[in-house]
Amino acid sequence: MDSLTTEELLGDLLREKPQEADGIDSVVVVDNVPQVGPERLEKLKNVIHKIFSKFGKITNEFYPTVDGPEGLTKGYIFLEYGAPTQALEAVKNADGYKLDKQHTFRVNVFTDFDKYMSISDEWETPEKQPFKDFGNMRHWMEDPDCRDQYSVIYESGERTAIFNNDAKDPIVSEERARWTETYVRWSPKGTYLATFHQRGIALWGGEKFKQIQRFSHQGVSLIDFSPCERYVVTFSPLMDTKEDPQAIIIWDILTGQKKRGFHCESSAHWPIFKWSHDGKFFARMTQDTLSIYETPSMGLLDKKSLKISGIKDFSWSPGDNIIAFWVPEDKDIPARVTLMQLPSRQEIRVRNLFNVVDCKLHWQRQGDYLCVKVDRTPKGTQGVVTNFEIFRMREKQVPVDVSIIAFAWEPNGSKFAVLHGESPRINASFYHVKNNGKIELIKMFDKQQANSIFWSPQGQFMVLAGLRSMNGALAFVDTSDCTMMNMVEHYMASDVEWDPTGRYLVTSVSWWSHKVDNAYWLWTFQGRLLQKNNKDRFCQLLWRPRPATLLTQDSIKVIKKDLKKYSKIFEQKDRLSQSKASRELVDKRRSMMEDYRTYREAALQQHHEQKIARLQLRGGVDTDELDSNTDDWEEETIEFFINEEIIPLGE
Amino acid sequence: MSYSCALQKPILLQGHERSITQIKYNREGDLIFSVAKDTVANVWYSVNGERLGTYNGHTGALWCVDCDWDTKNVLTGSADNSCRLWDCETGKQLAMLNTSSAVRTCGFDFSGNIIMFSTDKQMGYQCFLNYFDLRDPQQIEDNQPYLTVPCAESKITSAVWGPLGEFVIAGHENGEINQFSAKSGEVLKKVKEHNKQINDIQTSVDLTMVITASKDCSSKLFDSTTLDHIKSFKTERPVNSAAISPIMDHVVMGGGQEAMEVTTTSTRIGKFEARFFHAAYEEEFGRVKGHFGPINCVAFHPDGKSYSSGGEDGYTRIHHFDPQYFDFELEA
Repeated sequence: MDSLTTEELLGDLLREKPQEADGIDSVVVVDNVPQVGPERLEKLKNVIHKIFSKFGKITNEFYPTVDGPEGLTKGYIFLEYGAPTQALEAVKNADGYKLDKQHTFRVNVFTDFDKYMSISDEWETPEKQPFKDFGNMRHWMEDPDCRDQYSVIYESGERTAIFNNDAKDPIVSEERARWTETYVRWSPKGTYLATFHQRGIALWGGEKFKQIQRFSHQGVSLIDFSPCERYVVTFSPLMDTKEDPQAIIIWDILTGQKKRGFHCESSAHWPIFKWSHDGKFFARMTQDTLSIYETPSMGLLDKKSLKISGIKDFSWSPGDNIIAFWVPEDKDIPARVTLMQLPSRQEIRVRNLFNVVDCKLHWQRQGDYLCVKVDRTPKGTQGVVTNFEIFRMREKQVPVDVSIIAFAWEPNGSKFAVLHGESPRINASFYHVKNNGKIELIKMFDKQQANSIFWSPQGQFMVLAGLRSMNGALAFVDTSDCTMMNMVEHYMASDVEWDPTGRYLVTSVSWWSHKVDNAYWLWTFQGRLLQKNNKDRFCQLLWRPRPATLLTQDSIKVIKKDLKKYSKIFEQKDRLSQSKASRELVDKRRSMMEDYRTYREAALQQHHEQKIARLQLRGGVDTDELDSNTDDWEEETIEFFINEEIIPLGE
Repeated sequence: MSYSCALQKPILLQGHERSITQIKYNREGDLIFSVAKDTVANVWYSVNGERLGTYNGHTGALWCVDCDWDTKNVLTGSADNSCRLWDCETGKQLAMLNTSSAVRTCGFDFSGNIIMFSTDKQMGYQCFLNYFDLRDPQQIEDNQPYLTVPCAESKITSAVWGPLGEFVIAGHENGEINQFSAKSGEVLKKVKEHNKQINDIQTSVDLTMVITASKDCSSKLFDSTTLDHIKSFKTERPVNSAAISPIMDHVVMGGGQEAMEVTTTSTRIGKFEARFFHAAYEEEFGRVKGHFGPINCVAFHPDGKSYSSGGEDGYTRIHHFDPQYFDFELEA
């Protein structure tokens, strides 16, 4: 737009109406209107009227024209409504309206122009904010002994501590009272620790766990991070209003900016927004609709949601930008599981399912496999039967029949474990998905005390656990040859957490589920108990996640080849640190004993000085030692029956 | 923890039908006194567990028992609102001192001439600490203590005499420890190192130290005269009783919670253990299993070669240490 004066813009209107500020608030400017000559002006006005009178009565209009022989309209017009709210409605709904291929309306309230026109010509450089140096945010990864960290909440929530995991004893890194008001969460790559407060959440990180960022969301109860750690999503049941959706807010972590707010009816299936693995997209499901948004704009992909009638559940592949979703039966149309590629929205796989009661989607960690657990009631029967439909993302799918309690993929591999049967006859079966697509049963263990499966994050090793009501039975399995390495117990254990490297396992009894014996125990991946850590009203332990490795596959291969060399070095280091710990302990004990002896000497000295007083109190009888007054002793012989022995006399 | 106390087979004292509340050895160690909620007070030979006799008369649960230095008199306190004096040998009741509420603690001083006992805060009555001088029979006859000290704040839950009979060291419901003068009743010293009820206080055999057992899951060693806090022993269960070994740098602790206080308990047999800590290093080094319920009272034999524990299960177990116990050492 070339520079315009107010006179030029509003000359007519200003002349016609007295100076009323309200008038201007009800005016909208519509740009990208077709430029027409006088003979087609009437038609244009009718079209504009049809579109714009939807929002309210148009009380005035102005179609400025270009000076000159053709007298074409300038391409922008002014419309006045009866009230400012109508003008706002027009802006909200008509902005972006595509009249035809060449003309997409841009609608603004007039007052905005005024605002922008009166911006000072002088540019004031914004004040430079001092650089907040939080230090090395990956500091914990540089621990020379490769100790992972974990958070512990105890004293029923009053204290939160961060420990470095050392096989001998946990080493405190940070400990604070009332750090969080409810619980804590780590971000997916371990960079941030999030704490919850009445007014919002706070993120902490760096070597000293300084406060990195604060997000104000009154009454926040749930959060979720994008996998790339760029965004954090907060939910509060308190903050939603019709005009200003604030139930769910998506924040940019680095800038602290609020990116977008959303309505939310119910937080029952948190996280409501599911992220694609690279953080490029996030999606949510509402009635018959799948809404996919892209970052960083936070706008709907292709500006519209997908209508998927009856959609029941969806999930992203952890490895690719593919969404799997399923839709139940609808009259003649069978239930289907669909795999859709984003952003193209191309359906790359569809599978029909018959007589379906329910479906659950289980992606393998790398996104190589999708397992759909299908509960069906076959025609003519009454019971529910469970099938697995395994989609090999790189090949075809093959069904497997079985009825189950729990299912879990091996994280880095192509095996999965299944718990099936009914207590007390619960069986654990291990299957392998072979290269040709066939599913092979490797081994089945029967009569297991287990209700949960926990794979090591590195695969191969896993634990079958009987938590809570099953009294904490633990079975450690090596799935390379399906052997039971160890069967142990942590009585009343409520939670199991593998460390990110798969070297250690923590079982714990949380105060939230059991009011006594609150503690967390540390085991090796083979099931050897290393530590028992009792903590007053222990609530929760969470391992700090690790970011992805920076090594290439080739470097990893090289390291594995040279493992013997590294083992020697590590063993030596371990032995040195063992003896160092022993020495430290020994020194500590020596000094404690010295202090104690010093005290005892002084006390005994005083005791000695009080001897006369003691003699006086007991009429001269010396009772300082048990045998100090042997004169008083009487000797008495007592016979006790000890044993009976029958000795046959020789003939 | 590297030593599991391998002991000889314990001697089991079976003579009570309800939980044991206190056990005490006499000064020379040949006798053990046990009292329980079943209104019975027993005395046993510690060498073989044979029962010598019973002190009959109380009509309510017994909370405490003590024996004088000469093993002449026995003192008991009960929920039947009386503190009674007995002749140890004959079992004859020598005196009955009636109170307005249950008698929770009692004891003879070093000389055996002065007795103290405290009463519970109950039924509108405050907690009182009472002192009687046995050399003045009038006090007994008139049931008039020469000194009575009210405890308005937190009631006394356990108490022992100081080294020379000058004061009583009392543990309170709120975790406080006070020294009450036996002459004036004033508080000579006070400390608050525990934050929950003191369940038991016992003295070392030379009376220079006291050990406390608290509901806050720890036990602490104090100097009897200065009340300086010397050591702490931490566990994850409430501690009901603690005792100091007469000859080794060891302490023993017994505890656990009453069944009705816990919604689910481990039903595994013999789960309640007596725990042995090194007194200087504050480290646990051994455990003894065997009781079927919480341990309410522990005591060392005065010669330090054995110890006893009385439990919620009504049993008192006498354990003699094997030679390994005396040789065991933590590396230092």
